[in-house]
Amino acid sequence: MKAVGARLPRYDGVAHVTGRTTFVDDVRVPGTLWVKALRSPAHNADITRLDVSKAEAMEGVHAIITWQDVPLLEYGHLSALGIPADEPLLAKDEVRYKGQPIAIVAAADEVVAQAAVDAIELELAEKPALFDVRKAFDSDAPVVHEWGNWYPHFEEEMDRRQIRKGSIQEAFDKADVIVQGVYRPAAIEHVPVETQVCQVVPEADGRLTIYSCTQALYFSMGVVAAHLQVPLNRLKFVGGTVGGGFGGKVDTATETMCSLLSLKCGKPVKWRWSREEEFLCSSTRAPWHMEIADAVTKDGWILGRKMLTLHDSGAYSRFSPYGLTKHSFHHTGAYTIPHLEFDGYVVYTNRVPTTAMRGFGVTSVSFAVETHMSRIAKELGIDPFEIRLKNANRIGDTSPNGVVYTDPSTVPTILAVADELGHELPADYRTMSSEPRSAEWLPEHLVAQLGNPEDH
Amino acid sequence: MATATVARGAETEVLSPASEEEAIAAFGDGAGLTILAGGTIVVPEMTYGYLKPERVLMLGNAGLTGIARDGSRTTIGAMTSVQDLVELAAPLGRCAANVADREIRAQATVGGNLCAPVGRDAPRGDLQAAFLVLDAQVRSAGAGGERTDAVEDFLADKDGRLVLDISFEEPAAGGFARLDRPHTHDYSALTVCIARSGDGTTRIAVAGVDGPAVRLPSAEAKADDPAAAGKAALADVSFADDALASAWYRERTLPVLIRRALGDLQEDA
Amino acid sequence: MKLTVNGVEHELVSPPLTPLLYVLREELGITSPKAGCQQGGCGSCTVLVSGEPRRSCLLPAAALDGAEITTLEGLGSPEELSPIQTAFHERYAAQCGFCTSGMVIAAHAYLEGGGGSEREPIQEALAGHICRCTGYVKIIDAVSAAAGGDITSNQRWLPQPGEEAPVEVPGAPA
Repeated sequence: MKAVGARLPRYDGVAHVTGRTTFVDDVRVPGTLWVKALRSPAHNADITRLDVSKAEAMEGVHAIITWQDVPLLEYGHLSALGIPADEPLLAKDEVRYKGQPIAIVAAADEVVAQAAVDAIELELAEKPALFDVRKAFDSDAPVVHEWGNWYPHFEEEMDRRQIRKGSIQEAFDKADVIVQGVYRPAAIEHVPVETQVCQVVPEADGRLTIYSCTQALYFSMGVVAAHLQVPLNRLKFVGGTVGGGFGGKVDTATETMCSLLSLKCGKPVKWRWSREEEFLCSSTRAPWHMEIADAVTKDGWILGRKMLTLHDSGAYSRFSPYGLTKHSFHHTGAYTIPHLEFDGYVVYTNRVPTTAMRGFGVTSVSFAVETHMSRIAKELGIDPFEIRLKNANRIGDTSPNGVVYTDPSTVPTILAVADELGHELPADYRTMSSEPRSAEWLPEHLVAQLGNPEDH
Repeated sequence: MATATVARGAETEVLSPASEEEAIAAFGDGAGLTILAGGTIVVPEMTYGYLKPERVLMLGNAGLTGIARDGSRTTIGAMTSVQDLVELAAPLGRCAANVADREIRAQATVGGNLCAPVGRDAPRGDLQAAFLVLDAQVRSAGAGGERTDAVEDFLADKDGRLVLDISFEEPAAGGFARLDRPHTHDYSALTVCIARSGDGTTRIAVAGVDGPAVRLPSAEAKADDPAAAGKAALADVSFADDALASAWYRERTLPVLIRRALGDLQEDA
Repeated sequence: MKLTVNGVEHELVSPPLTPLLYVLREELGITSPKAGCQQGGCGSCTVLVSGEPRRSCLLPAAALDGAEITTLEGLGSPEELSPIQTAFHERYAAQCGFCTSGMVIAAHAYLEGGGGSEREPIQEALAGHICRCTGYVKIIDAVSAAAGGDITSNQRWLPQPGEEAPVEVPGAPA
């Protein structure tokens, strides 16, 4: 095995440094038409009139598509994971976020394409919009989504992710102090240096060749096949060369739209998003609102955690139920807390739908959990390393949803950091390990949650 | 054969004068004309479709580049690159060095920066603040012929003028402070320039306000007391929110920048 | 309008206000400079104009009559990498590769201008270039290494058929 432990060159390195790497926008197909989109100028509105006829008649315009051109208008990216479809490829009766695509134009060049977009007649009846997840539950809040203001289709039609363990009331009764915190990381835009881009070529045999910047090639094939209602063997995807994705190119819809345009006019088309579009209309990492209340003893044991998470999904679900699910499993972080009451909601707002970004669902809760640990340490006057070591996961501890830890690395990691920083620790902390809890590190309240590592 | 084309401005008339005289003649009174100096502002506007000029006057060959010294007076041609100012004394040199990155500075021009319209999402025209405190004179052509204006007057009425050069007396000392975001070459949310002239007059100006850069006379009156000067400055400005910073944030940072720039001034003297 | 690109003279047909980026990519089929932002803000469109690094997305063709342009393709080929290209490859300074063209062009200009191996002047020279993948450290490493001559000589990295890969594997049998 020569590769293991070896320092191998990147197989694409020479191409990168000589400018030979072919990104989607570098593909050259003669006769390719340029694509531009008509996007909603309003945050929340009913579409009362949409007329593309004048634009269609313009010189140099080869095809325009609207919702009527889409064989299957709504297809859920994660239908296979039980998340029903809720987002139309192109807006039909209403728009739910500023920037939502309504009509797509393929024309001879960028100038003509934009002029055609400007010539499309669109009338909207604007409605009040919702931007603050905290207001989503008010009785007088604007209603964002056909399902209300939060996702209601978790298993058994639950409207939230719910974790219950032990008895939170017992924890609160036994606590010396309740430490509370609210954590609200903001949305983050991926800013890949390559904007979203797609090139479609109609082949003589009736297939489509689709050059895509998607991060998830087979996934995108399925999405296009579903919207177009064609078998997979009608599509030839070419991809894998992505100019930065970071999670922002897993929910691309450009392939489907370009495919429909190409089928309609019989010509190759290319859609390259402008940087403005990428900033304003592409999906971002979600903003989160997290409230934590921990029941804590004065010597630094965390007896219980009550937590509420509101995940801002934007106007449609996309992957949010999945992200929230991952988030909920991690709401105790690297620490063992026996009594838990967690409720998490996927909340809709009239913003660009949010999506995955590195560490999807978990970076938010890690940020909240670690900040909260430091807050507890400060309130109690306890060393922040010691409080973490004390509550750290050990072999045999169980996670919020009952998974038994067999190889947690919290203790050695924190000790290594303390070493590196020259942070002094008392001898009994210095000698801690991940071995199953015992003696002073196994207080009464942690006994019931223990599991058998053999059962993992 | 060209593929997906981004054909741009096929119908636009492009004028490319080869001397200052030709440029002035081509400019006329400026009606219906878009000036393309370095291009760092105008070209993206055209690319994004915000600007669709009918006639473009390109100044690259008009011989308006260069820095000349006559005793203590410096004259800078309008097409001189921002990069060429970097070695000049504070505040102008430091203000220029803070603009963008070296590729942009090499292409951007003094005239373009002076005449920059207020940005869509972020401030432009940082050099305006430096020229204000240098009490610079702007020589321009246009309707009514050639004129030389104090930069303050020029900024208030620059439509229909073609900037030829900017001149100023060397300052005795300069100070500079800015509010950047903490990475590379972002636009500055606030730029403060200070100059003390040979006769001891201290001038203070700020760019990044709601409009072109302005002098801060209330701060100037208290220049001996940096903390007081900072507080007084707020009376002379109005701020707007933009993509870089809110008005709220600018109000709280301006006094700090003034204090720092005045501190600079003491050291530079 | 005439333009010399990588040593080859071309007679342009693009309209005079077409930014150089599109002249290169669309008219001449030279695709190493990228349309990352089309506003001059990301650096991925950077090429050399008479040896100086400039944003091709900001330069109208009409301003370049008679100019000499060098793109990444003109610095070296897979058969013969220039030192800076070798350094980038050896030091893993490219991940997705989209910013690489602009970075290498700017680095090349820095080195040609006598730039040294200290990190701060390198950072200043590359300040106009955004990378979202690498975190910049390996890019600075590569430029620093090239400035200090700390690279293997120009060589084709990938082994020819029948050759052993030129890598060291700790503990592997000799």
